[in-house]
Amino acid sequence: MIVVDAAKCSGCSRCEVACSFFHSGKVGRSGARIKIVKMEQIGIDYPVVCQHCVERYCLKCPEHAIEIGPLGQVIISPTLCTACGLCETLCPIGAIELFEDIPYVCDLCGGDPVCVKACTLDAIRYEPENSQTVSLKPFKSKSRHLSPEQKRVRFASAQSEPIREAWLSQRRA
Amino acid sequence: MLNVIGGRGLNSTRLYEELKRNVDPLSPENMLLIGVGPLTGTLLPASAYTTVSGKSPLTGILGDSAAGGFFGAELKLAGYDQIIITGRSEKPCYLLVSNDNVEIRDASHLWGKDIWETTAALRKELGDNAIQIAAIGPAGENLVKFATVACNNSRMFGRTGMGCLLGSKQLKAVVVRGKKRITVADTLRYADLCRKLETDILNHPEYEQRNALGSTLLMKALNGIGILPTRHFQEGVCPYVDEISGETLAERYKVKNKSCFNCNIHCSRYFITPQYEGEGPEYETLCSYTSRLGNSDLEFALKMTTFLNRMGMDSLSSGETIGWAMECAQRGLLTKEDLDGFDFSWGNTETIEKILRMMVYREGIGDAFAEGTRSLARRFGKGTDTYAFHVKGLDMICGDPRGIKAFGLCYAIASRGGDHLRAEPFFELTERYDEAEKRWGIREIADRLAVKGKAVLVEHTERQALISDCLTMCKNIGLSMDLMNVEFASQLLTAGTGLKFTPERVDDVLKRIIERDRLLNIDFGIEPSQDTLPERFRSEPLKEGASKGHIVPVEEMVKEYYKLKGWNERGIPQAKARKRP
Repeated sequence: MIVVDAAKCSGCSRCEVACSFFHSGKVGRSGARIKIVKMEQIGIDYPVVCQHCVERYCLKCPEHAIEIGPLGQVIISPTLCTACGLCETLCPIGAIELFEDIPYVCDLCGGDPVCVKACTLDAIRYEPENSQTVSLKPFKSKSRHLSPEQKRVRFASAQSEPIREAWLSQRRA
Repeated sequence: MLNVIGGRGLNSTRLYEELKRNVDPLSPENMLLIGVGPLTGTLLPASAYTTVSGKSPLTGILGDSAAGGFFGAELKLAGYDQIIITGRSEKPCYLLVSNDNVEIRDASHLWGKDIWETTAALRKELGDNAIQIAAIGPAGENLVKFATVACNNSRMFGRTGMGCLLGSKQLKAVVVRGKKRITVADTLRYADLCRKLETDILNHPEYEQRNALGSTLLMKALNGIGILPTRHFQEGVCPYVDEISGETLAERYKVKNKSCFNCNIHCSRYFITPQYEGEGPEYETLCSYTSRLGNSDLEFALKMTTFLNRMGMDSLSSGETIGWAMECAQRGLLTKEDLDGFDFSWGNTETIEKILRMMVYREGIGDAFAEGTRSLARRFGKGTDTYAFHVKGLDMICGDPRGIKAFGLCYAIASRGGDHLRAEPFFELTERYDEAEKRWGIREIADRLAVKGKAVLVEHTERQALISDCLTMCKNIGLSMDLMNVEFASQLLTAGTGLKFTPERVDDVLKRIIERDRLLNIDFGIEPSQDTLPERFRSEPLKEGASKGHIVPVEEMVKEYYKLKGWNERGIPQAKARKRP
């Protein structure tokens, strides 16, 4: 999976740009499968991407259009998918989002993720062996009525707490 | 739009063609233009600037200011190249642009809020953290003449008072959400060109330092060459530079790098002090609130950075009003009684803090300060205008031109007033003598202290700056790192838009824009006598440091510059009769 070290992230969005361009030849956050949450007031920029979670909530797809690939990545069948949007609703952290009736989720670019290559700050890494180590259960409750962006903000806020603590103890000790 | 390209050129061309010349900048008739480049928001690194333009409330001439961040790319993703705002709202409002939907909404509840509060409130009320917001703070609402507009909280459209212009229209913010995707004409060719630029950036000899310090590297660099404005340009060397340098800022307060959209330099920074935190400061703000005012307290400068960012007020112009007052007080031209009882001694942080707040809310003497240094000096008279360091009403930036001659010329002729970014002739600082010989046949161009050839350099880099501005690209990369030029731009534009841009064609477009800007300013009433520098820089040699003994012979440089431009001795383009495009 893609492992994030948000303490190093400058929020430049080069990962989003590279992802969108690689997959479609077009550039735009809507077409990216990794999305940065920017929280200027606390200095946090947090790239949110599929965590290959233990729970695999998205597998509850009613059309059975979703399966897990050999790299642990989520694979969505374009022929089976009816764009019902349930996977978007089920993902607790907004890592799946529909755009123009197509669900966008990280596919690891077949094992050589372009976002990782685009990042010049080592804020995102690819760890092939690391899969299904993260539980997203804490983020599941009350996530149903949030938009993907709101879920990403909630996830990023929680995940960045230790970063803030480290910064504050370093600069305000 | 083959004739204007985009960004600053697109904006100023529209002003040239549509703006009634004699309008009061604060009247409803003044235009407020927000423009991006044709390639903004694409794969092109560091191309996400946005330019805001209009007739400047501060200077009364062409006004514009550019900022990075994420607003420009979002505007492009919503499907727009330019927003044109005229008129005036009866009550506070904000403009919401969401893809194809455009609405003007009530902002009464936001009026009075600072920029950070406004951004947070809008994101909450619209239920979307990903919207991009360009907003003004209390300074803009109160029509401080050098108020700023900010996006991403701390990315400032800082100069020429564009925040005041928004305030005059009762426009609190422009909010953009763009969910589209951008395509280019020749994808593979375009990707190759972008990759080349990315590689050139990464391999640039200045990359490491720019990544670590951004523009704050200039504190020590300029001190080293004796041109760091100290005590309002009385000295060019600051004895306590190590306490206020970019290096010290990074070591003590920086926690991480920050960046604009799709840039691989990440030159900005997030800082945390015991009491404050935020993004920034850039060099100009850092210097404006440290050495320029005789202040050695770095933490105080960071506190002022957050204050100015929240309130939306330009650090250079606000700093110059204070520097002017301090020097006038030092020389006995102004007394405490003149200045509401304030003690304007060098580095008096208590005074600085109080006067800034009074400027924002136009209280007491702050009301006069909020009009800008030129107006202040006119009001007080008594010879204080000798120490008002502005060109055409725009306060000078933090670089003493006596040790960087081409910059001196640039401040004198820049179409928005005393500013370096119109030409940023950084080349003269690089000591690339062979390259100077190759490009212009004049080796001295690479020597910052030489006068010879500097008009040639400025005439050239003015176009290099403009092409960066038309692409709304960062000029640190385009100019300072010397990575953008007409040839490369024409390749990018051709691959990006599918229109045929030849270098000759692009160069011709740039020349026409510069000429039109000049004609516009002449219509606004500028005189050739204003193409100059404040007297100190023309006649008072620097007393110590690596630029000791130098002044700027600006008069002869301006004359040569006119000649190179094909303008007459009064600085009027001779092609005035040329048909408008």
